[in-house]
Amino acid sequence: MESIKNRYAIVGVGESERSKNSGTTPLHLALDAARAALNDAGLKAKDIDGFMSYSENDSCTSHQLATYLGVRPKYVKDILGGGSSTEMLIADAVGLIESGQLNTVLIYRSMNGRSGVRMGGGGWNVNMLQTAIEGGSFIIPYGAGSPAQWFGLFATRHMHETGLTQEHLGHVCLAFYEHAQRNPKAYFHGKPLTMDEYLKTPYLSYPFKKHDFCLESDEANAIIVTSAERAEGCKSRPVYIMGLSARQCVSHAHYWNDLTEVAADYVAPEVYKMAGVKPEDIDVASIYDCYSWVVLRQLEAYGFAPRGEVGNFVAEGNLRIGGKLPSNTAGGMLSEGYTHGMNNVLEIVRQVRHEYKGTDRQVENCEIGICTGWAGPDMAGAMILRN
Amino acid sequence: MEYQKPIPLKTQDNSPYWDGADRHELILQKCNCCHQYSHPPGPSCAKCGSSELSWESQGSDINGKVYSYIVSYRPFLPGFQDDLPLVIAIVELDMLPQVKLIGNILHCSPEEIEMGMPVKMVWKDIMDDRSIPQWIQV
Repeated sequence: MESIKNRYAIVGVGESERSKNSGTTPLHLALDAARAALNDAGLKAKDIDGFMSYSENDSCTSHQLATYLGVRPKYVKDILGGGSSTEMLIADAVGLIESGQLNTVLIYRSMNGRSGVRMGGGGWNVNMLQTAIEGGSFIIPYGAGSPAQWFGLFATRHMHETGLTQEHLGHVCLAFYEHAQRNPKAYFHGKPLTMDEYLKTPYLSYPFKKHDFCLESDEANAIIVTSAERAEGCKSRPVYIMGLSARQCVSHAHYWNDLTEVAADYVAPEVYKMAGVKPEDIDVASIYDCYSWVVLRQLEAYGFAPRGEVGNFVAEGNLRIGGKLPSNTAGGMLSEGYTHGMNNVLEIVRQVRHEYKGTDRQVENCEIGICTGWAGPDMAGAMILRN
Repeated sequence: MEYQKPIPLKTQDNSPYWDGADRHELILQKCNCCHQYSHPPGPSCAKCGSSELSWESQGSDINGKVYSYIVSYRPFLPGFQDDLPLVIAIVELDMLPQVKLIGNILHCSPEEIEMGMPVKMVWKDIMDDRSIPQWIQV
């Protein structure tokens, strides 16, 4: 994929209202997000010939979305998937455009993630969980039914091996909550967090407190991808894709043999090589943040701090705007909103475009950004974008 | 009283393991090709893809060490509400360190649990004809 560097661009991003109870359907939310992205790009719905989405059986279909935008697409695709699906569908779109099958693709994620199907669970049939989850009969009978518990098992081992502390997890939360205070659309806008409060908050599932969990929200996000050539005709400032690693896998998380390996370890060298940049060239980041610890492990994988020094890196305030690697600058999934990672992609596009220029939300001189998508220790994808 | 927690579902891929547990015996899947253990067991070896698999008894006297753990303060699944805080651990087997089993460390407080802690397998009878392996501190 070396040859696609800088030849494709994200030309539109948009979102619906974000709430804990939308009172509407994922189709309405998706239409709102899609129209916002079209408006951002200065495109008409008929300019879109491919529609793609991902969901956990909690959304509307691409066919429905296109229908109610009044267009007949050449291509629709709906996949099951969570984190890293945004990067994967962008890679699919690039491939389809590259091969001449499509011109411009709209990718969306729409969900009533709080009022509808909640990832945090509750109400699941336990026998269904045992068969639906890889290795399920070896974890469900022991009470391990929540992603927080599975990620926690990776986290405590990694913390033990590298010396990460509870305060280091807290620094990730504090940085992202601070960013949410500058973002009026963030779910936890108006709810600042101090280290004292973080440390005093009881555990839900050690090593995680409520602030370490991503939130659940009702919302939709949309992204429009096209060729660099067509991007020139769009209203927005194109953000070019320098490097892209769609989705790499390691053994499933529930094959607990090797907690030291995560898929991001394999994604990182590929995405940097394709983009032709190094970690120190990255000005701004969106790091997949389903849990605070996941950010720390990815900082290690993507080379922002050596193993064993990631804790100091975050304690020094480097994830904050003004730090070495301003990350999740809209608040991330911990405090802005949750669409399995797509909201983090929207933010990196806006930062690299300098859309917040003149405000305290803009990262100064940010030309290159990284966006990582991580469903868990089992699979990961990432992309590097430039102004 | 009826057992409230999820009961391991036997499938074509895992039934030798759970049938063994019912007899208070640890049965592990091993690959005849690369000679590695496959746990959890599966339809073929997750290390090399071979479908030449066999089952090997490790007996009933199993010891291990805590490789990782979490402490759950909420019952994320039904039946665990009276067991909180619940310690869920990954245990590395002393005789086969490459094999790691998930289980609960019973009668263990959050203050006691630590990495590397030695534990011993105990068999908990959950129904007349079903048992699951669990762990206690040595």
